[in-house]
Amino acid sequence: MGYLNGFRVTFNKMFEDRVTTEYPEEKQEKPDRLHGRHVLNRYEDGMEKCIGCELCAAVCPAKCIYVRGKDNPPDDPVSPGERFGFVYEINYLRCIHCDLCVEACPTEAITESKLFEFSFSNRSDAIYTRDELIVDDDGRPQQMPWEDWRPPPDWA
Amino acid sequence: MSHEATEEPSGVILNGTEIGFEDGELLIEACERNGVHIPRFCHHSRMEPVGMCRMCLVEVDTGRGPALQPSCMITCSAGMSVETESPATKKAQDGVLEFLLINHPLDCPVCDKGGECPLQDNAYAYGPGESRFVEEKRHYTKPIAISETVFLDRERCILCDLCTRFASDVAGDALIQFQGRGAQTEINTFPDHPFASYFSGNTVQICPVGALTAKPYRFKARPWDLDEVESTSVIDSVGSRIAVQSSHDVVLRYQGIDADAVNWGWLSDKERFSFEAFNSDERIAEPMLRSGGELTEATWSTALAAAADALRGVDPERVGVIGGARLTNEAQYAWTKLFKGAIGTDNVDAQLGDGLTPDLLFGYPRATIDEACTPGGTIILLGPDPREDLGALFLRLRHAVVNDGARLIELTPLTTGLSSLAAARLHPHPGETSLVARALVDGASGDVAGVSRGAIDAARRAIEGPVTIIAGRANLAEHASLTAATVAELMRLDGARVLSAVRRGNIHGALDMGMSPGWLPGRQRLIGHSLGSGWPKVPTVAGLDSAGILAEAAAGRIDVLVLLGADPLADVPDAALARKGVSGADKIIAVDTFVTDSVSQADIVLAAAGPCEREGTFTNLEGRISVVAQKVNPRGTSRSDWEIAVELAAALGIDLEIESLDDIWAELSSAVELYDGLDLEKLAQHQREGIMLRPTPESTDVFTPVDTPRNDAYSLRLIVTRVMYDRGSIVSRCPSGATNPSSPAVRVNPYEFEQLGAVDGERFTLTSTAGKMSAPLMGDVSVPRGAVAVVFAQPELDVRSLIDHTAAVVDVRIERA
Repeated sequence: MGYLNGFRVTFNKMFEDRVTTEYPEEKQEKPDRLHGRHVLNRYEDGMEKCIGCELCAAVCPAKCIYVRGKDNPPDDPVSPGERFGFVYEINYLRCIHCDLCVEACPTEAITESKLFEFSFSNRSDAIYTRDELIVDDDGRPQQMPWEDWRPPPDWA
Repeated sequence: MSHEATEEPSGVILNGTEIGFEDGELLIEACERNGVHIPRFCHHSRMEPVGMCRMCLVEVDTGRGPALQPSCMITCSAGMSVETESPATKKAQDGVLEFLLINHPLDCPVCDKGGECPLQDNAYAYGPGESRFVEEKRHYTKPIAISETVFLDRERCILCDLCTRFASDVAGDALIQFQGRGAQTEINTFPDHPFASYFSGNTVQICPVGALTAKPYRFKARPWDLDEVESTSVIDSVGSRIAVQSSHDVVLRYQGIDADAVNWGWLSDKERFSFEAFNSDERIAEPMLRSGGELTEATWSTALAAAADALRGVDPERVGVIGGARLTNEAQYAWTKLFKGAIGTDNVDAQLGDGLTPDLLFGYPRATIDEACTPGGTIILLGPDPREDLGALFLRLRHAVVNDGARLIELTPLTTGLSSLAAARLHPHPGETSLVARALVDGASGDVAGVSRGAIDAARRAIEGPVTIIAGRANLAEHASLTAATVAELMRLDGARVLSAVRRGNIHGALDMGMSPGWLPGRQRLIGHSLGSGWPKVPTVAGLDSAGILAEAAAGRIDVLVLLGADPLADVPDAALARKGVSGADKIIAVDTFVTDSVSQADIVLAAAGPCEREGTFTNLEGRISVVAQKVNPRGTSRSDWEIAVELAAALGIDLEIESLDDIWAELSSAVELYDGLDLEKLAQHQREGIMLRPTPESTDVFTPVDTPRNDAYSLRLIVTRVMYDRGSIVSRCPSGATNPSSPAVRVNPYEFEQLGAVDGERFTLTSTAGKMSAPLMGDVSVPRGAVAVVFAQPELDVRSLIDHTAAVVDVRIERA
């Protein structure tokens, strides 16, 4: 009667706490140290924190970041100081979310949120540029159509 | 003190080990040679030591006990004991760095130097690791533009004196200096005097911090994303060694490399920033064909077929090829083989009527730059002004005269950048230089050509040691044969040698590769050449030079004119000849990188790769071959010039038997004595200094100058010289060069200026037998009496309309407009 042993296991489990959830309808709390989609931050006065120093690109083990700096326009500066990040691109087909770019950043311009639910079916969609990464006045980056923002991620 | 019987050391005791040294060698360099690196900021092997930064303090004991001394200021002496690792040395290094960092801002992330910064490196390697300084640092406005190209950030400056020493000692433009005292000392320019030096880029390169930055590279990339390859600058004929640095397939920077025989690490700004032109949008990216009066893009196959159609069945005598100085040696060989060997025309000339005859350059013993700069030697400068035309050569000559006791005798139409250093300055009446040259050799019995006997005697007394004649076209309004005659006179001096100052790119390679009428690769004549069966149709009679080709074209006797990177409409001194020649040619095939005036007249345009987009070799003005390396991909579908030659030949049904650069070198080294045993591998082994070609010069024909007419009392004789920044096809496309305009005025001696009753800037009409032009007039003491000086190729000042290429000299009448 060996197969009854199998039923016994199933029967016993019915009274234990459930460990699975109904993803994606139901979502779990994310771990503290989850590394997800990046954002480029601003100072309170609206200036961009990124100075285009390329340290993130230098440290990136996956070589997925491409940055180019430029002289800040004197009459309408983008960031404090002489230089700003003119081009900023992250290729999410390559990014391994190791967080080294965040550690390298001298101005805390680039940080990683916990948003990991973004998948694309086009290679060019995988390249997030400055427009998509930079946060707006409400502190949120641009939402791409393939990103699931439920519940609203904590961008800070 | 104990006097032991053991033998005294003859060397320096470096950290307990005895090392040898050369007489007068600085301690820091002797240590470096023996593998002990002493940190330094202000030391530069090509400049006098000053001991400003104190970074190189080491413990030195010369018998009076150990004391901290700057190793860059001390010459080695026998028995000297040096400790570079002792606690006292370490403490000194720690302290110096802590002091230097007190006021140095920590803005490394935005600083262009960050990543390749000696201050960063030394602070990591020798510094305290932590700052005890909590007070506010010194602040200045940052950055300030001290010229159109160079920016100064005084906060970052550590007052090492490198840029100021370079400017005053090496370049002779003391435009930046220390100002203020104590903690307020800063580097700055003088009020109303920007750092407008032709050599300002060198200060940016040697600055050990990010205090000086140059606009073309500012914030373009960081050091760690630059790729670098060693190459040769092809902009002028000095062939300076450079490091070509690129990021993401775009050339972003040239840095000078210290090649002991050539440029010592220095570059002129024209060379340094010339890459900007090749990054510009004006590059020809695709071949073009003329259809309906307009140049439109075409495919390579149709363009090559059109070019082949134009050349097919044409009488070789009715084909002319102008240009070739832009090309590498290999490309020059391929094009010469196509036109001289396979098509059978000798109408090939790489010079545009502004060079010297190859008979002169091949006929006389040639000097290297080192030989010209020999301590104790004599340099006779016939022009052009090396400061304007050959920047890196100017710095070498200046160093030789200032530091090594070489004597300079100027025999030029006008003062030059070296005049203030010359032992004798002779400025003969234009067209009569050879008379002064003869007097310089044989002695003068009176005044010659406007030069006093006393001045000639003084110059004669100054001639000593090995003599080098720097020969180029000093005055573009003078016939080239006059320069040749002058050189021939001076060559009678004992052991005299010639250093060519013909300026344009790889022109010496072009002449060596036979791109000149009457010559074939390897400085061989048309008859009795050794090139073999690959050259079936070599003509036996010398063809036309570029002036001849243009004159024939003007007469409708040239069916196909090929322009190999040449712009006769802008560069041939005789404007009327160029205009008529280019419009008279039946078909024009242009191989170029930019749509120049002449290219816009072409029927078929083939896109050529830029200097960092092709491989090959370059021959400089000494005859030194060095490697040109490819760093980035060619723009669009543009190709290397040698490939274009081979494919054009193939479209004509000719097999040039060339499939690679190695094929070309195999041919050259086996068939041409001059290149015996040379190949790319050997050249790559000698890439820093290159390989000198030293053929035995053949005896030279006597140069008969064109007769110089007597000056009539009503006219002034024309002197046309060049300046570094003109309307040249490359330099005018560099934003950094366009900001250095020279005055668009015609200059005469104040005596004549007064006689004309002119006021500064008043417009006058200049009339010669060739044409007319109108320009503002200016009095200038540096112009000799009886002459009128104009700068070539300047905006709003086209002196070329006055020049007649057949005349010995150009006499100009000046009248009120």
